[in-house]
Amino acid sequence: MKDWFKTGSPWVWLSAGGVSLSLISVIGLLWLIASNGLSYFWPSQIHQFDVVDEHGKQSVVIGEIYDRESIPTVQLAHLDLGREIESETIERILVKTGNRELVSLDFRWILEPLITQRSLPEDVAVVERRSNGNFYGFIEKIVLDGKDVDSSKLDELLERVNEFQAQISELQKVDIGAINYQLERIRLKERKHILDGTLTEDVKADLVSQSDALKAEYQTLEKELLALRKEVSRDQIVMRAMGGETVAINFDQIIKVTFSNQLGVIGKFGVFIEQIYGFIFDDPREANTEGGVFPAIFGTVLMVLLMTVIVAPFGVIAAIYLHEYAGKNAFTKLLRIAVINLAGVPSIVYGVFGLGFFVYMVGGNLDRLFYPETLPSPTFGTPGVLWSAITLAILTLPVVIVSTEEGLARIPSSMRHGSLALGATKAETLWRIILPIASPAIMTGIILAIARAAGEVAPLMLVGVVKMAPTLPLDGNFPFLHLERKFMHLGFHIYDVGFQSPNVEAARPLVYATALLLVTIIVGLNMTAVNIRNKLREKYRALEH
Amino acid sequence: MITVSPKTLNDVPAPLDLANLTPEQTALEIKDLNLFYGEKQALQNISMKIPKGQVTAFIGPSGCGKSTLLRCINRMNDLVDICRIEGGIELNGEDIYGKHVDVAALRRKVGMVFQRPNPFPKSIYENVVYGLRITGEKNRRVLDEAVERSLKAAALWNEVKDRLHDSALGLSGGQQQRLVIARAIAIEPEVLLLDEPTSALDPISTLTIEELINDLKKKYTVVIVTHNMQQAARVSDQTAFMYMGDLIEYSDTNTLFTTPAKKKTEDYITGRYG
Amino acid sequence: MDNLNVGRHISGQFNEDLERVINHVMSMGGLVEKQLKDAINAMIEGDEKLAKKVLKGDYQVNDYEVNIDDECTRIIAKRQPAAGDLRLIMAIIKTITDLERIGDEAEKIAKVAQESFSKEQRDLLVSLENLGQSVLVMLQATLDAFTRMDFDAALKVHQTDDKIDREYEGLMRQLMTYMMEDPRSIPQIMSVIWSARALERIGDRCQNICEYIMYFVKGKVVRHTSPEDMENL
Repeated sequence: MKDWFKTGSPWVWLSAGGVSLSLISVIGLLWLIASNGLSYFWPSQIHQFDVVDEHGKQSVVIGEIYDRESIPTVQLAHLDLGREIESETIERILVKTGNRELVSLDFRWILEPLITQRSLPEDVAVVERRSNGNFYGFIEKIVLDGKDVDSSKLDELLERVNEFQAQISELQKVDIGAINYQLERIRLKERKHILDGTLTEDVKADLVSQSDALKAEYQTLEKELLALRKEVSRDQIVMRAMGGETVAINFDQIIKVTFSNQLGVIGKFGVFIEQIYGFIFDDPREANTEGGVFPAIFGTVLMVLLMTVIVAPFGVIAAIYLHEYAGKNAFTKLLRIAVINLAGVPSIVYGVFGLGFFVYMVGGNLDRLFYPETLPSPTFGTPGVLWSAITLAILTLPVVIVSTEEGLARIPSSMRHGSLALGATKAETLWRIILPIASPAIMTGIILAIARAAGEVAPLMLVGVVKMAPTLPLDGNFPFLHLERKFMHLGFHIYDVGFQSPNVEAARPLVYATALLLVTIIVGLNMTAVNIRNKLREKYRALEH
Repeated sequence: MITVSPKTLNDVPAPLDLANLTPEQTALEIKDLNLFYGEKQALQNISMKIPKGQVTAFIGPSGCGKSTLLRCINRMNDLVDICRIEGGIELNGEDIYGKHVDVAALRRKVGMVFQRPNPFPKSIYENVVYGLRITGEKNRRVLDEAVERSLKAAALWNEVKDRLHDSALGLSGGQQQRLVIARAIAIEPEVLLLDEPTSALDPISTLTIEELINDLKKKYTVVIVTHNMQQAARVSDQTAFMYMGDLIEYSDTNTLFTTPAKKKTEDYITGRYG
Repeated sequence: MDNLNVGRHISGQFNEDLERVINHVMSMGGLVEKQLKDAINAMIEGDEKLAKKVLKGDYQVNDYEVNIDDECTRIIAKRQPAAGDLRLIMAIIKTITDLERIGDEAEKIAKVAQESFSKEQRDLLVSLENLGQSVLVMLQATLDAFTRMDFDAALKVHQTDDKIDREYEGLMRQLMTYMMEDPRSIPQIMSVIWSARALERIGDRCQNICEYIMYFVKGKVVRHTSPEDMENL
């Protein structure tokens, strides 16, 4: 045994064990998120249960099995199930039944012993709707412009409706949005003139004519919109729910109709891909519990990119000052310690700082100076994507500074001397020689900064993230990038969906899916940065003896 | 019968009278130079005249101050915060430690090559034109000409002319060092300082560099620091032996390596305990 | 040996190499000295056996020369000696050439000693004894100066060659008189003249060796300079 210790192999085993442990936890984490998240998109079987409840009443339950658990029989002793239970535990099943307009809860627990019969009806349809969640049931008939038609027309009609829906959203978001935006700008212009005291009759008339033109345009667009809406709501689908009730669903409510039980594996896979696509590229619905997360993805990525653009130059400049110019004295040491300690401050503190300093002080003053016309409603004096990016930039600044400084310190002094000896000044040497060689280290700093920033949620809640942003920070209206706007963020989205939504149970898979997406995006951002760094490293590889 | 007098056989030029060089013959004059690193004195009362168009070697044991002295000539010691200098060095009669001296301009006149080859991580071409780019030269033709001229002068042209835009880091050690020399002479300095230029190279590369030094002295004044006495003996016209910050002996190389005047020199060059 | 400073190189191997070659030069010097002594004795005493021994001994001298030459070449190739070491090696290379020549001269004398001489002629040979002794002393002094690398001693030996030259001239006149008196003895006297000539040459070679010693010590070429200049070095 002692000899074995002397060979040193225990340490090999110990370190290998450590590595395996971390590897296992990482893989486990990814597995958990991926399996839970991805199963959300996989179309599940629609079960039909015939249930006889404890009072002897018969009912039919149709829905997806969401969860199952066993509970001790004793716990249910107060219930008279109408028969003897011998086993110690009873299985119960959580079924998502949908049909919110019919039942108050779209989830329902069923005790296994109460089920008399179960089946997978072929013709059961899942109707995904714009509001009220899914509807499970059987298609009774389709009403085309008041006349009944064959249900085989369903796909054709759905396609037609979807086309119109796309037109509607285009109209609403782009055209009407642009007009609203311009109207708002005209209003602000007028107000600015009033504030400046330069509102002459000419100007006023000009503004009024402009706004009238826009309003006229708005009218025509609105008419167009109404016509489209009418087209969309022309047809209806009549569904029979599990309770036997018939419900008419207007086509404008329908997103998709799936016959899950009819699908083979390939069909299911198609739906799966479709669902994922929808999740990534659609807007959220129903208080974020349905639909996609596109605005959150967009917000996250935009904010991180903005943060990178801000933190990289500042961090690099600070590191250059610390390493190249600052004297080697106590003050510099203090500065360096301060920078390192900055990395240890809890992130929520940065949020508070960002709110107090950037949003209220800087933003407030900016508003007073440049946007007096909008006051009292703030422009920059309120949380927004710019302040979020700056706050996170400060949060990640130490990382960039430290790794850049390390990179600078690793550059052989012969490079500096070589350049200086050729008559270059210090600044020229820095710019032409030192910075390019240090670029892999700078990239490392940026990678770490991105990794940290993309996962940070707490400070963002104070300085710019919202549950639901009406518009993206980037659109077709000048100046295209609206830094003052609030934005959605995947991290916050997870929190919001997981803990703030009215139906926590329904949202749980969504939480996993969003988490998986967040991880994927962070990994994606990191991989890009790592790739760039590796290319740079390859270029300067021979220097690292 | 022809009588051959020893004088007619001896085509080695007569050694210069180093103590009494005329100003025209002098490239550098070091006057009572004292150098301190903090409290420690690294150079003591160095006075010497370095002749134009010749190779002058500094030899001596490690830490004797020969590299320090070399670095004084293009003021690389300015980079050391605690370094203090008394006395002066004149380049063509002008004090390089004068008040209004532009150090960058001085370094363009006094090029330097270091112990380890230190090409920048750029292409061969960019390495050579680096000094010219610093001076703001943008004319492509001028740059191309400078590259060809310098690489030819550094005896590297034939080896790299087909891959001028490849990375300089792909060259061998000896090629890199010649590239660095080409880089230094691209800005046409007057004096070229070589700080142990071959100490990191293999013997064959070393010989190439030595041959190159021999060519370079036709155009430039070369000052070389070397650990390798045989190298000093091979390449230099003058040799200065330094020991513990003192200039012990400074004379023409032939004399110094056959009949040194000082016992310290003799002990050093014959490899004896000092 | 102190002047040589051989023992103070950082490279112990170099020390050993130099010491060995110097020792070999000493041994060679000793051998040559013995050869010369034996040759002179053989001639004076008509000892043919001794003469034969000298003839044999010359092979040994030649061996020494070749070996020391080799050793010097090796040292130059491997150590690149500089300054004093370089001058020492150069001095040794030249010294052994002269020593070998001295050996050859001794051989010549021994050959003369082997010839048959009449009683009278033998007396003539005895007249060589003085010259022979002087040359022997000079050779010994030279080797001594070499051993100590003593500039002053070398200079002194260098100057004693004049005395030998004078003795030689005297002897030549004497032999010339003999030849005129008795032409029949000319062949034998010629042999004696050869011996005398050999001894005189040995003196010159000793002088050369002294010059090498002076070159080694002072680093100045003293060959072909006047004695006054030499003293001023």
